[in-house]
Amino acid sequence: MKSIVLFALALFVYGILTAQTQLSGKVTDQKGNPLMGANVFLYGSYDGATTNEEGIFNFETHLKGVQTLHISYISFEDTYLKKEVTLLNDLHISLKQSISSLEQVVLSAGTMDASDNSKVAVLTPMDVVTTAGALGDVVGALQTLPGTSSNANDGRLFVRGGDARETQVFIDGTRVFQPFLSTANNTPTRGRNSPFLFKGVNFSTGGYAAEYGEALSSVLNLETIDKPNEEEVNLQFMSVGGGGALTKIWNKNSLSFNVNYINLKPYQALIRQQVNFTKPIQIFGGETVFRHQFKKGLLKTYAALSYTDFELIQEDINTPEGVFLGLKNRNTYINSTYTGTIGNSWKIYGGLSVANDDTVIDQKNTAVDSEDNSLHVKLRIKKKIDNRIHIAFGAEQFSTQVDDNGTILNQTFNSILKNNISAAFAEARLNIGTSFVTKMGIRASHAHVLSKTTFAPRLSLAYKTSTNSQLAFAYGDFYQNPENSVLKIRKTLSPERASHFLMNYLYKKDLQIFRAEVFHKKYDDLVKYDNEDVNLSTSFTNQGNGKASGLDLFWRDGNSIKNFEYWASYSYLDAKRDFKNYPNKAIPPFATKHNFSVVTKYFITDWRTQVGMTYNFSSGRSFTNPNRSGFLNDQTKSFNDLSVNFAYLINQQQIIFCSVSNVLGFNNVLDYQYTNTPNANGVFNRRAIGQPAKRFFFVGFFWTISKNKSKNQLDNL
Amino acid sequence: MKTLVSIISLCLITLSVKAQGNYEQGMQKAFGLWGEQKIEEASNLFERIAAAEKENWLPYYYVANVNIVSSFTIKNRKKINGHLEKAQDNLNMAATFSENNPEIMVLQALLHTAEMMENPAKKSGELAPKITGIYESALKIAPNNPRVNASYAEWQLGSARFFKKDITPICEVLEKSLLLFEKDTPLVPFGPTWGKERVETLLKECSN
Repeated sequence: MKSIVLFALALFVYGILTAQTQLSGKVTDQKGNPLMGANVFLYGSYDGATTNEEGIFNFETHLKGVQTLHISYISFEDTYLKKEVTLLNDLHISLKQSISSLEQVVLSAGTMDASDNSKVAVLTPMDVVTTAGALGDVVGALQTLPGTSSNANDGRLFVRGGDARETQVFIDGTRVFQPFLSTANNTPTRGRNSPFLFKGVNFSTGGYAAEYGEALSSVLNLETIDKPNEEEVNLQFMSVGGGGALTKIWNKNSLSFNVNYINLKPYQALIRQQVNFTKPIQIFGGETVFRHQFKKGLLKTYAALSYTDFELIQEDINTPEGVFLGLKNRNTYINSTYTGTIGNSWKIYGGLSVANDDTVIDQKNTAVDSEDNSLHVKLRIKKKIDNRIHIAFGAEQFSTQVDDNGTILNQTFNSILKNNISAAFAEARLNIGTSFVTKMGIRASHAHVLSKTTFAPRLSLAYKTSTNSQLAFAYGDFYQNPENSVLKIRKTLSPERASHFLMNYLYKKDLQIFRAEVFHKKYDDLVKYDNEDVNLSTSFTNQGNGKASGLDLFWRDGNSIKNFEYWASYSYLDAKRDFKNYPNKAIPPFATKHNFSVVTKYFITDWRTQVGMTYNFSSGRSFTNPNRSGFLNDQTKSFNDLSVNFAYLINQQQIIFCSVSNVLGFNNVLDYQYTNTPNANGVFNRRAIGQPAKRFFFVGFFWTISKNKSKNQLDNL
Repeated sequence: MKTLVSIISLCLITLSVKAQGNYEQGMQKAFGLWGEQKIEEASNLFERIAAAEKENWLPYYYVANVNIVSSFTIKNRKKINGHLEKAQDNLNMAATFSENNPEIMVLQALLHTAEMMENPAKKSGELAPKITGIYESALKIAPNNPRVNASYAEWQLGSARFFKKDITPICEVLEKSLLLFEKDTPLVPFGPTWGKERVETLLKECSN
C-alpha cells in the first residue's frame, strides 16, 4: 500500500515537473506568405515541429523559464526568439530571405574577375586556358574583355586609352616588376607566368582600391592556388617545345613545380615568317609554388625563373640590308605572402617580392646591359568592427635600382637609377542594410627620387536594384612615377596623374551576365619632351595631359543552348592625349575607337571535343603620314582576327589541343614606316608593318599522370 | 524523509531514462519519417537532435545526407543550392566533431558531385579533381569501407562511360564492395549503413 502511494505521489510530482506548455504560431516570409516545412524548435531540446501548409506549428514542451525558440528554413536566415516559454504562444514569425554570397551587393565598378566564387566573375579560371587565340596566356584571355584595346603588335594590356605601362601586375598582392617576356619591336609578347598555377584573376579597369597605386589605368592581380587537389605529374609536348609539371602534397605542405622550354626554330623552318630571325626565339621558364598551412594562416612562396634569347634582322625602309637586333633576358622573381587571422575579427596580410632582371641588347653600334633589381614589401591589416563596418590599413615600400652599362659607338657609359616609393593606405567599408555598400579610402605616397608626396582619395559605392542587378559608382585619383628611362635623366618632375569616374550596371542570373560601364578618365601632369628620343639633351616638362571616355559592354550566356557558352564584349573609346613628344593633342595609336570580340565554346559530348572560336575586331590605329600635314593624321584599316581551337579528350589523362590564329587570313596592317626622305616625286614611300606571320598553328599533347587509377585501387582491395 | 528521498530519486531516474531514450527515439522517428518520404520533417528532426546532442556528428551527418539525396530529385537550381548549402553547413559541423571520418568524406564528395551537375562542362574542371582527391584520401583511411568503395566506383563509372572505357575493373570494385556491405556493421549506433541497393542496381547495368 505504502509503495502504491509512493508511486502515485511520484507520478504526481513527475507530472508537475513535466507539465506541458503549448507553443504555437505561424511562420511566413516577409511578404506574409506562409512557409511550409520550416523547423521550429526549442534550442537544445527535442521539442519542436515542422510547419504545415499554412505555415502553422504546434508543439508541447515540459521546459520551463526563458528558452530560445529557433526557426530554420532553407534559403532563409536562421531566426532566434528568446522568451519565457509560456509567452511563446500564438506567435507570428516572419523570416528574412538569406542572401548568398553571389547575391550580395558588391563594389563592381571597374572590376572583372576570372574566378569560381565571385559575383564580379565574368570568366572562370578554365576560360583563361581554353579561350581560342589566347594560347594559355592570361593577358591574351583578358583581351577578350571590354575596356581593353587589342594591340596585336604588342600583346600587353592597354586599358581605356592608357598605354601598357599604366597597368600593373600583381601576384597574391605583391608587385610583379617584369610580367612580360622580352620581344622585338612589333612582335607580340606574352605573360611570363603559367596560367595553371592560378585559381583567380582579378582585373580592374579603373577605380581600384587605395591598396593599389603606381598604376594610372589598371591593376591585374593573379591569385595562386591555395591548396592543390591531388598529387600529379603533367607532361606537355608541343609543336614549339615541351614542358613538365609536378605537384606533391605532404602533411600541411604542398609543392608545385613546372618547367618548360620553347624554341621556335623548327616551327619557323616550316612556316615562313615575315620577320627574319637569324636565331629564333627560345624561352626557358621554370616556376614553383610552396604552400604551408598554419593553424591560423597560410604561407605561400612563389618563384619563377625565365630566360629568353633571339637575334633577328629587322626590316627597315631606310636601311635596305635591315637592322640587326640581338636580345638576351634573364628574369628571376620570388614572392612570399602570409595571410592569417588574429583573434576573430583581425586579418593580417604580409607580402614580399623580389625581382632581378638582366637584359642585354645588341645593336649595330650599341650594346647595353641593363640590370634591374626591385623589391616590394607590403603589410595590410583588416578589422571587422561589426557586420556593417570593416576597416583596412597598411603600408608598402617599392625599391628599384637600375644599372645600365654599355657602349655606344665605342664610347662606354654607365648609369644608376634608384627609384624608391613609400606608401600608406587606409580604407573603410560600410554596409547599410543589405542593398547598399560603400568604401572610402585614401592613399599617401612619397616618391623619393622626385621628393614628391601625393594624396589620392578613392571612393566606391554600389546599390542593389533587384535580386539580380545592381548599380555601382567609383571615383579615384591615381599617381604613377614617370618611366625609368626619363627618371634616369631628369629627377625634378612630378608623378603623372589620372582621375577616374565610373558608373556600372551589373546583371547576373544563373549563367547569364550583363555588364555595362561608362567611364571618364582625365590625365594631368603627363611627361612631355621635345626630342623624338629621350637623351641627355632632352628637356622635360609635366605639362602633358589627356582624357579618355567611353562605354564598355559585356554579355555572357551559358544557359540558353546546351553545351554552348559564349561571351561578347564591345568597347567604345574616345581618347586623346598630349604627352611624350606629341606636338598637340592626338589619338594615340594604341587607343583604338571600337573594339569588339566574341568568344564561343561548344562541347561535343559524343566526340569529347571542345571547339572554341574567338573573333576580334578593332578599328584602325592612328599613324603619322608625312605626305599630309599634321601629326597622327591617318588611320590604318581595321583589324580582324578569327582564331579557332580544338581540345580532344582522349581520356581523363590525355588531351590533344590544336589551335590556329587568323584562319580567314586577314591581311592586318598595324602601322606604317615611312622613308626619312621623299623620292623624286616628293612622296615619302612606306612599308606596311603587319603581324610576324599571317597565321599561327599550334599542336600540343598534354598528359597528366596521377596516382588515382582504378587499377591501383583494385590492388588495394 | 526516506519517502521524500525515494520520491525525488524516482523522479530523477524517470527523467534521465526519458532523456537517454530521447536520442534513440528521436533518431528512430527521423529515420521513419525519411522512409515515409517526409523529407523536410526528417531533416528538421535530425537538425533538432543535432542541436540537442551538441557534440555528436551523426545527426549533422544525416541532415546533410537527407538534403544531398533530396537535391538529386529537385529541378529548380535555386532550391537545389539551398539544400546543398544546408548540407554543407551540417557537414562542416559533423567534421568538427569527427575529423577525418571517411563517412563524412563520402558525403562531401557526393555534395560536390551535386554541385557539379549545375554545369558539368564548366564546373568539372574545378570539382572533378577535388572529388577524386576526397575519395582517394577516404580510401587511404578506410580501404574496406563499402560506401567509400561503392561511391568512388560509381563516380569513376560516370567518367569511364564518358570516355568509353572498359568498365570491367570498376564493376569488379562494385562486386567487392557488395561483399564489404555483407560484413558492414556500423561502428556507432545509428551509424551509416546505406548504399547496398545502389550497388545492386549498378551491377545490373554492369552485366548488360
